[in-house]
Amino acid sequence: MTTRILLADDHAVLRSGLRLLLETQPDLQVVGEAATGTETLNLAETLQPDLILLDLSMPHLGGLDALPMVKQLVPSARILVLTMHDDAQYLRKAIQGGASGYILKKAADVELLSAIRAVLRGEMYVHPSMTKSLLEDLLPNSGDTTEKDSWNLLSEREQEVLKLVALGYTSAEIAEQLNLSAKTVETYRARGMEKLGLRTRAALVRYALRSGLISGE
Amino acid sequence: MMLPVVVRRFLGRVWDVISAVSVRAKILGLALGLVLVLGAGITVQVRASLAAIMQEQLDDESTTTARDLAARTTDLILLNDLVNLQKLLLETQANNPDVRYAFVLDAEGQVLAHTFGSGFPLGLLESNTVRPDDHHNTVVLQTDDGLIWDTAVPIFNGRAGIARIGLSDARLRQSLQVVTGQIALTVALVLALGVLVATTLTWVLTRPILELVRVTRAVSNGDFSVRVKRWADDEIGDLADAFNDMTAELARTDEIRSEREQLRRQLLERVIATQEDERKRIARELHDSTSQNLTSLMVGIKTMSATCKDPVMQSEADKLRNVAAQTLDEIHNISMRLRPRVLDDIGLSAALEKLVSEWQARYKTPIDLLLQCGPQRMPAEIETAIYRIVQEALTNIARHASARAVSVLVEERNGHLLTVVEDDGRGFDSAGKTGDGHLGLVGMRERAELLDGRLTIESSPESGTSIYVEIPLKGAVS
Repeated sequence: MTTRILLADDHAVLRSGLRLLLETQPDLQVVGEAATGTETLNLAETLQPDLILLDLSMPHLGGLDALPMVKQLVPSARILVLTMHDDAQYLRKAIQGGASGYILKKAADVELLSAIRAVLRGEMYVHPSMTKSLLEDLLPNSGDTTEKDSWNLLSEREQEVLKLVALGYTSAEIAEQLNLSAKTVETYRARGMEKLGLRTRAALVRYALRSGLISGE
Repeated sequence: MMLPVVVRRFLGRVWDVISAVSVRAKILGLALGLVLVLGAGITVQVRASLAAIMQEQLDDESTTTARDLAARTTDLILLNDLVNLQKLLLETQANNPDVRYAFVLDAEGQVLAHTFGSGFPLGLLESNTVRPDDHHNTVVLQTDDGLIWDTAVPIFNGRAGIARIGLSDARLRQSLQVVTGQIALTVALVLALGVLVATTLTWVLTRPILELVRVTRAVSNGDFSVRVKRWADDEIGDLADAFNDMTAELARTDEIRSEREQLRRQLLERVIATQEDERKRIARELHDSTSQNLTSLMVGIKTMSATCKDPVMQSEADKLRNVAAQTLDEIHNISMRLRPRVLDDIGLSAALEKLVSEWQARYKTPIDLLLQCGPQRMPAEIETAIYRIVQEALTNIARHASARAVSVLVEERNGHLLTVVEDDGRGFDSAGKTGDGHLGLVGMRERAELLDGRLTIESSPESGTSIYVEIPLKGAVS
């Protein structure tokens, strides 16, 4: 049984190259080629392919926007994204849109076939350099594992200063608001951060948001 | 001319006091001081000369009255008509209010008649004596009632006795008192007039000056529409005119300056927009065309090597493939640095995540990135500006800071987009002048200000550098 593949990429030379590469495999058959997002939708509906090799940046409806629509039109088809973009956000959006795999064009020649095999087996395939960004969402933020109680270890002044730092005030503004010198504000801030075990402003803001010291937006 | 140090120091101290008080006090002090000194001088002078004249008069009067009395008593004494003698004495006293007392002694020195009603004060006899051949003798007696001019005149060359009369200076003193009082009253009136005149003068002088001060303050606060009223046709009036001319000139210059500033801003906006467009175009070109071509090349080589059985050709194909892959990587990096596609396609958050992860990989320093802005897109120019500012800040940190921890924070708060890039490395003197090393900072600031935002830099050697950028979102979400 052969797998019927739809190629969606606006670059004609690349399409023909891919077709040649895919057809070196006896069980793979390219049944159609689309150069735009709308074309992809039309062909996907009429051809009902088993697998769609989808580029993310195409004229007239980009691949990223087309992806969920294609998935809706042909729910049975596996969608393998083949793109230049190595950004985590594209990957996330693609996976959310229903893609089964995500490979980068720079590795297309070596990874394409194994990716297709994996996807056809019902697995997910993501280019190894990008799996980290997906997993990062699951990992707790390192360095922020401070207990809520530690806030009470801070002096009143330190608490005031840190709250204002978390709200995004400059040291000069905090100094003016609390009638302190900028140097003193820096000292309170450094001491408070030390007590909380936080190293950066971002960590402090995260801590403040989590423990409800400030509200988001 | 060299003055002694002491004098100079004293004059200096006097000037310190004088210069410290207001013009009003100076003028008032001058006028009042003059009037007071004049009044006091006149009073003392008039009193002195008046007293001298009156005393002389009293002296004369005393002599005249005593001699007259002596002449008129001669017959009465010789006739021993004591009743009329007493009458004469009383008459003399009644006719001249200055006469305090009068009495007559006979040749033996016995009191024949006197004007003391109750009893004759015996001590009075020795207080004044006169020799028979003398014309008269006057002494001034100090009594409880003031000075008494006591004159003794021998009657009938002393053979009939002595007539004595005492004139008091009470009336004289009273007159002096009255005159002094009148002068004091006059001085007081003049003083009141002086205050009035001085106050008016001060008002006339200081009013335009105070007005000038007020207007100068307004002008220095940037209000060029204010004008000084020309109060009087004098030097101060000329000053007001000159000031108004200057303000008008300042207003003109300011207008030209703000026009130029506006123009410069528009130009800068255009330059930045053009640069971004150009970068976007080139990045897109590289991404869409060049990269795709290279990918095609790689896929083609792969296909050819897969179908070729010759191992030498296969290894050649692999080498070619690697060259293409490397070139593709470089192109990708160039395009990323020019303008990341993700900034246009997905947004600021994604672009910053990408920027931060590549920076970390390259410089081996952790960046703590926190993005607290909603999923909706912000205006493109704001996204671009923030991206470029963070990019520049990270470049600076990599170049100069030798930081151990870096933090990038972007959050939406109260309708503003707040961005803070912070490191714990070597800071610099943020108050210092913006030399060539800080040209990047100037560029960052310009970008923020073009969007009505503001950029604050706080830096010190101990606590590293913090760059704050606050840009109003105006509720505009594209």
